[in-house]
Amino acid sequence: MTALIEIKNVSKIYATSDDSATWALQGVSVNIEQGEFICAIGPSGCGKTTLLNIIGGFISPTEGDALLNGNAIQGPGPDRGVVFQEYALFSWLTSRENIEFPMRLKGVSKADRRAMSDKYLEMINLTHAADRYPGELSGGMRQRVAVARALVNEPQLLLMDEPFAAVDAMTRASLQEEVLRLWEKLKFSVLFITHNIEEAVFLSSKIIIMSPHPGRIKEIVPVDLPYPRDRASPEFGALYAKVNEAFHT
Amino acid sequence: MSVQTTSKQDSDGPEAAVSPFHWQEQEQAFLRKLNAEKRKKTISQLTLNLLGVVLFLLLWEATPHVIPWMNILLFPPPSDVVGTLVELVESGELLENIAISMQRVLLGFALAAVLGIVAGLFTGRIALVQHLSDPVLHGMRSIPAIALVPLSLLWFGIGEASKVALISWGAFFPIWLNTFTGVRDVPPVLVRSAKSLGATPYQTMFNVILPASLPFILVGLRQGIGIALIVLVAAELAGASSGVGYMVATSHQLFRVDIMFIGIATLGFLGYMVDRLFTFLQSRIFPWYSSK
Repeated sequence: MTALIEIKNVSKIYATSDDSATWALQGVSVNIEQGEFICAIGPSGCGKTTLLNIIGGFISPTEGDALLNGNAIQGPGPDRGVVFQEYALFSWLTSRENIEFPMRLKGVSKADRRAMSDKYLEMINLTHAADRYPGELSGGMRQRVAVARALVNEPQLLLMDEPFAAVDAMTRASLQEEVLRLWEKLKFSVLFITHNIEEAVFLSSKIIIMSPHPGRIKEIVPVDLPYPRDRASPEFGALYAKVNEAFHT
Repeated sequence: MSVQTTSKQDSDGPEAAVSPFHWQEQEQAFLRKLNAEKRKKTISQLTLNLLGVVLFLLLWEATPHVIPWMNILLFPPPSDVVGTLVELVESGELLENIAISMQRVLLGFALAAVLGIVAGLFTGRIALVQHLSDPVLHGMRSIPAIALVPLSLLWFGIGEASKVALISWGAFFPIWLNTFTGVRDVPPVLVRSAKSLGATPYQTMFNVILPASLPFILVGLRQGIGIALIVLVAAELAGASSGVGYMVATSHQLFRVDIMFIGIATLGFLGYMVDRLFTFLQSRIFPWYSSK
């Protein structure tokens, strides 16, 4: 059985602002299996966002193959939902309309759209904010709407690019729990980019540790702690220490 | 009754010594005072505004009487102008001219809006179109619309077409340029979102790029309608047989400065009203725009 995503020996070269060339990724190979929750972690310049952009279909690799269900990735598509770091909601649409946006593109009837947006609004506990515009929502609420909008197409893979980097620590913790809840319920795969070790250990079933200049995979650490995870448990602490060590050596 | 409450609460301890109504009363008294002060301020401001207008009119009325060498025909006092205004309104002449002028402005503006927004979207989004059109569009932009009045008369005659063409020419450029800037300013993450949600290039253009650049487009439309009014006057001053600008032009030949004053004031008033109408419609049609 082929993996959901196969990254085979992928490299990506970029022009920097002073017109020299830099390798964002060099010879990276990794698979994402059905239902996995993978966190990619590493300092800036390690190519984690480049990896996400290649899988998202926003850029293509300079060398190597990026496959989705065994076929080369041709471009972005509704089978891969994306949640960005910056707020990527459409400011002229309400929460509900943002969630309904992908269905409107497909010409889904108004009643069906409404039923779906009701369902997803309830899932992210934002029924009360359905008719508010993004400008009227807090940072955490906006990212919940962004997650719902990405999930409404029922993608096989959810790509998340440091989605909670801009929210405060309390909100961040509750958003993490919410994503895990949705992941367990809807059974999609996740590639989650972060530079926060604790976040990676709390969320993922597998952690990809990357190193910069050139961007490479340094180590892949499986995380076999059962969900829900207890940040205060010794097992959590031990894994944190392990990832931290791999990260810093 | 309030005495009773107070005495009852006295026994509860030192904090309860004050009646709960006390705070409410204080609050209400405070709010009353605040409102009264606010109202007073508004009233005195309005009074001063009104006084300013009256002073201006008095000064205007008095000037020809005070300054002996001033020709009253060249500087008619407000009493004369108001009389003429009533005549012009009663005969329907003024409203007729306003109607025809507004029709020209709206037609020209609508044409410019459609062309300007479409041009802005495509030049902003497609590099090929941008580079191809850049020198020509920017070259034409530098030509003052007023310089094209004689050409427009030759090409489109003295009828409506020449006015509408000139107005849309003038209004096109700010609408195009602002739309272009707005399209360029759309965060790439919105375009990526749309694509990953399954939007086709066409859907991305009209469901994402267009609404995302709307704040800029609105600025362009507002500038465009301002220019439309300027070009309107230029077009009507030369080679027109109706309109507010024509009214000003003929009053010059008839030596009727009173009519000229009315025409000029009407143009100012129209400009002001159109701008107010624009901001009003903007807040009605785009509620999210004002909520940001």
